[in-house]
Amino acid sequence: MKLYVYCLAEGVDALPEPVNGVSGAPVRLLKTEDLSVLVSDLNADAVPVTRENALGHAAVVRSILDRTTPLPFRFGTLVTEQQLRNYVAARKPALETKLALVRGCVEMSVKIIWELSGIEQPEPVESDQDNKQGAGATFLTEKRREILGGELMEEEAADISTWLHETVGGLIRSEQVSLRPAEKLVLSAAHLVERDKIRQYREKISEARKDRPKLHFLLSGPWPPYSFANIELEFKTPFGVS
Amino acid sequence: MSSPFEEVIVSSEVEQWEDSDLSLLETLDHVLNRGLVIAGEITISVADIDLIFVGLNVLVSSVETAHEALRKRQIE
Repeated sequence: MKLYVYCLAEGVDALPEPVNGVSGAPVRLLKTEDLSVLVSDLNADAVPVTRENALGHAAVVRSILDRTTPLPFRFGTLVTEQQLRNYVAARKPALETKLALVRGCVEMSVKIIWELSGIEQPEPVESDQDNKQGAGATFLTEKRREILGGELMEEEAADISTWLHETVGGLIRSEQVSLRPAEKLVLSAAHLVERDKIRQYREKISEARKDRPKLHFLLSGPWPPYSFANIELEFKTPFGVS
Repeated sequence: MSSPFEEVIVSSEVEQWEDSDLSLLETLDHVLNRGLVIAGEITISVADIDLIFVGLNVLVSSVETAHEALRKRQIE
């Protein structure tokens, strides 16, 4: 029997209400190192990625968001109780630092999408010389055009990122921004926003996007701070805590 | 904060999307891509091809689908 782990929180002695999580299993609190971890028992080696399980994971983390700001675990975290206790004990200073960072906040997510037609691309140049050059040279010319277009998009994305930061900078505690994570995405940003500033934040985004009519905005939240929970150290220990 | 999707705005029209595929994709983006990791202890299996998460391109595709639906609705 393993534990499926949802999130870690401070100052929680009991669940606000009974809740079921992944695979419909009841969720319970596991206290360790003065912290509380929401877990459920799971007799499985892997967690299927299904709509129900994904939403179940999200719902459990969200169930305590009104009471406190937890650090969410990533979907699919299956450990033994001893592994979990070892992990929390070994990472306690880093976890407490993260909890202090997110305390009183929620995450707001902004994805900005551009219409490729809205970005000026260098025009293909056709000349007599092009017509005379071979397939290899034509390929290189086309490649150069693609690279120039890519550079323009990079510049545009950086400009939009700066604009977004200047727009909401006064309302956020921290941010995680990924520039051009996919071809049509200008950026994906996660903003850590204090709860009493959510309304202002939304109004600011709604107002500011009128300045960028060629961009599409996908604004969602409030979320538990999924984007602000990672501990850098975790990616430097390939075998985890045994 | 009763819904994880209290507000999702798409494009220049202010649209509220609740319980939509967009919301599911945003949830997947968060729960599958982000969060605390106990290294080596993420074990998932993908059985339902509809929910294979291939990155943010899926989300963008869905946004475009939503736009298309929106345009059709406006034409009608």
